[in-house]
Amino acid sequence: MHSPELLKGTLQTIVLKVLKDHGKMYGYEITQRVKELSDGHILLTEGALYPALHKLEAEGLLNTETVSIGKRIRKYYTLTSPGKVQAKERVAEFVDFIQTMGSVLQVKLN
Amino acid sequence: MAELTKDHIDYIIKDLHYRGIVLEGFEDEIIDHVCAGVEEQMVSGKNFIDAYEATLRSFGNTDGLLETQKKVIQIRTKTSSMFKSYFLLALRNHVRNKFYTIINVAGLAVGIASCIVIMLFVKHELSYDNFNEKGDRIYRVNTALHFGSVQKRLALGAAQLNDLFRQNYPEIESTARLWDWGPRYVRRPEHNERVQEKMVWADSTLFAVFTLPLVEGDARTALKEPNTVAISQTMAAKYFPEGNAVGKSLLIDDNVNHRVTAVFKDLPENSHFHFDMFRSIVELPESKNMSLVGGGWMNVYLLLREGADPHQLEAKFPAFIEKYVAPQLADVLQGDFSMEKFRSQGNSWSYWLTPLRDIHLHSDLESEFEANGNITYVYLFSAIALFILIVACINFMNLSTARSANRAREVGIRKVMGSLRAHLVRQFLTESFVLTFISFVLALAIVWLSLPVFNSLALKTLSVPFDQPSFYLALVAAIVIVGFLAGLYPSFFLSSFKPVNVLKGKLALGTKSGIVRSSLVVFQFVISIFLIVGTIAIQKQLYYTQHTKIGFQKDQVIIVHRAGFLKNHIQAFKDELLQNTSITSATITGYLPVTGTWRNTNTYWPEGKVPTHEDVKDMVSMEGWQVDNDYVKTLGMTIKMGRDFSREFPSDSTEAIVLNESAVEKFELGPNPLGKKLSSFTDNRPDGSPDPNSIKSWTVIGVVEDFHFANMRENIAPLALFLQRSDGYVAFRFKSKSTQAVLDKIETLWKKLAPENAFEYSFLDEDYGKMYDAEKRLASIFGVFAGLAIVIACLGLFALAAFTAEQRTKEIGIRKTLGASVNSIVFLLSREYGKLVLIAFVLSTPVAWFGVQWWIQGYSYRATIGPGVYMLAGGIALAIALLTIGYQCIRAAMMNPAKSLRSE
Repeated sequence: MHSPELLKGTLQTIVLKVLKDHGKMYGYEITQRVKELSDGHILLTEGALYPALHKLEAEGLLNTETVSIGKRIRKYYTLTSPGKVQAKERVAEFVDFIQTMGSVLQVKLN
Repeated sequence: MAELTKDHIDYIIKDLHYRGIVLEGFEDEIIDHVCAGVEEQMVSGKNFIDAYEATLRSFGNTDGLLETQKKVIQIRTKTSSMFKSYFLLALRNHVRNKFYTIINVAGLAVGIASCIVIMLFVKHELSYDNFNEKGDRIYRVNTALHFGSVQKRLALGAAQLNDLFRQNYPEIESTARLWDWGPRYVRRPEHNERVQEKMVWADSTLFAVFTLPLVEGDARTALKEPNTVAISQTMAAKYFPEGNAVGKSLLIDDNVNHRVTAVFKDLPENSHFHFDMFRSIVELPESKNMSLVGGGWMNVYLLLREGADPHQLEAKFPAFIEKYVAPQLADVLQGDFSMEKFRSQGNSWSYWLTPLRDIHLHSDLESEFEANGNITYVYLFSAIALFILIVACINFMNLSTARSANRAREVGIRKVMGSLRAHLVRQFLTESFVLTFISFVLALAIVWLSLPVFNSLALKTLSVPFDQPSFYLALVAAIVIVGFLAGLYPSFFLSSFKPVNVLKGKLALGTKSGIVRSSLVVFQFVISIFLIVGTIAIQKQLYYTQHTKIGFQKDQVIIVHRAGFLKNHIQAFKDELLQNTSITSATITGYLPVTGTWRNTNTYWPEGKVPTHEDVKDMVSMEGWQVDNDYVKTLGMTIKMGRDFSREFPSDSTEAIVLNESAVEKFELGPNPLGKKLSSFTDNRPDGSPDPNSIKSWTVIGVVEDFHFANMRENIAPLALFLQRSDGYVAFRFKSKSTQAVLDKIETLWKKLAPENAFEYSFLDEDYGKMYDAEKRLASIFGVFAGLAIVIACLGLFALAAFTAEQRTKEIGIRKTLGASVNSIVFLLSREYGKLVLIAFVLSTPVAWFGVQWWIQGYSYRATIGPGVYMLAGGIALAIALLTIGYQCIRAAMMNPAKSLRSE
């Protein structure tokens, strides 16, 4: 498991990217998906995820849609068009960051 | 994946609520997340409780949950889309509470609509004469004179002031005189048909002083020559449909040809005079009348130079009077006249100026061109508009705070969660703004639909100024003000809840804490009762003027107008119609006890007390009416003393007068006035001043009971009847049931005797009624707005009662199971509101009493507005209030207790 310190700056990027690849998702689904993709190395805490989702929504990068299933109400998130642009930019930025880190730390990234 | 059962989900929802997860838009999401987590845990074999515990742990238990919720709240607060969320929340709240929203919007919309209509009216009243570009420099000269018992405040000045002022005061740039003679007949020389037109004599400087744009002709030359006229566009279109009116002729009163020199744009409605025709005053003898004290009275307007101070000009008038008026007064009064002596006897002579724009609302002098508006009514109506708006806003406040009980918990938890008070204030304010905005849109629609009705009530032609940007600006400003007014108190009230108390359940705010709410309801009803009292009082005074003893019998009298056209057939006309059995009596006269007929005021004194420089105190200004032998009989007046004019005394026509009681009192003729003599001048000298050699005396032969011949606002003035011919009208008293048959007979004869003139008639009672049109308008406008205020107040009460009943459902249920009857419960529920109306009644009565007294002081003859009126108004308010809440109370009382107790 990675330290939460390392994850902190990348949470939004992860959320955006996951949503970009999978379209409509709800909160729990996102945590599961990230867990799956990272082989269980990255566990998004609910305490971090939801504020991030609401922040992205407030910034206009996410749309929400509620569907009621039985007694529960499920809230789905999708990217808005600025959201899609942002997802792309943040991922590119992150790749750039990793390369820089590679040079700084003198490690070779495959 | 294992599906959770309903009970499990309920458990989770309740538990999370209990832990304090309540934030809208967040709560649902967390529930779903927890459910999904639990489901997954259960797949791996855990039981529900264990799975739930485990899932919560991943959130960090209650603390973690609340922390997350707080973060979300903080994010929402920080970001700019907060407004959107306020807005959405507001909409959602309104939709959820349809009933209250509709009542709120309806009340507010009607209130705002009334307000807008009244504001349009007020704005129109205030805009009078604003179209004059030099309006702030134009002043009208007024004259006040106190001379013996003659006391006058005139909107007029002597014709000579025109030249004298201009010669003496360089600060005067220009002057213009208007002299109103009443309507005259006009026709084109080549046509026979003639029509009465409103016209006035005017100086050619008219166009330099007032802003009267010309459509045709040249303002520099128009009206410069005698026998020229300027006509309005409407009139030009009527007489000269072929166009090019300038240079063509019009015949006035069938005798003189007048050349049209200009066509002006019709005077706007907000002008203090409206004429279709100005005729040149040049060469008119009256315009050259040299007298400053006796003749040539005209409306004189001054245009001051830029920067000239009217007060400084006014300060120079006493010296002017000393120099020009005093010698003329000395001449009339003879002897060693001096202004000091004149004044020491309590007499006075003065001029003063009225700014043009103040004429409509602030001037009510003798000889105004038109009945002016009244600044009092502008204030009064503004106050009513404000009242209605307040009543509507109170509804909003009351409903918001009343529903606070339902929202207290929301507020409490939001605060615990870290919502700042400011957020809540903003949230509630947004709700009020949303409602206000909807109400304004609705109100505009109402205004647009109801304006024609108001116009016909108030005799105005107002329109909604949709084309003026300032109107929209005012609307936006009004939305902001009303939104704040209605939303500020509830939002601060609601946001002030202490979470500890709310969550402990200490505040049962819906039903108790009603002191503010009750006082607001009381305030609404104070206003409503006040308006009802006003309405009844005006109606009563109106009834009084129409039905009290007025000194003559106004029913069953036909008045034939323009009797002068009968010329020498007039006596035959009267005599022949008297042959009919249905016509009981007839009289020929120009003077009738209704306004609009002839009037003739002159100065009289008891014989022998000739006014001199020593003594003018015996002079009395008195109406002198020329009537025939049958006048008193036909109009149903009563001779109190002595006798009426009679054919048996041929000398009546030259030596006799009949006085009214008021004249007897004014001349101090004592208990036996018969045989006493009064004198007056009967002729003027060439310069217009009265001729001392023309004094003539008459003997009092009878006293007629006082009768009203002007609005009851005024005292009955001294009046004398003279047996002389005046041929303005012929009045017939008839007794037939078929009015039409009588009319037909009169018309047939008219057509025979004056075939070329149209037959015009009216009924005395209707003419009399017309004298009170202003009061009737006031009464109906007051009535309408009183009604609106009550309706709005009741709307609020209705919703409030519904709310209270809802709050007390359980209490009522328990009472019913314990044996309370429906009646006792209805009584229980309505008692509270009854009490409020009673308090309102007690509070509003003194205010209303004061208002009514103030208004009715304006009348010399007043109806008694006794305590009954106030009781009636209170009763009406109470009845309406009880009816309003009755439905809610009865519904609540009829409810099956089993049902109401089972809920929850």
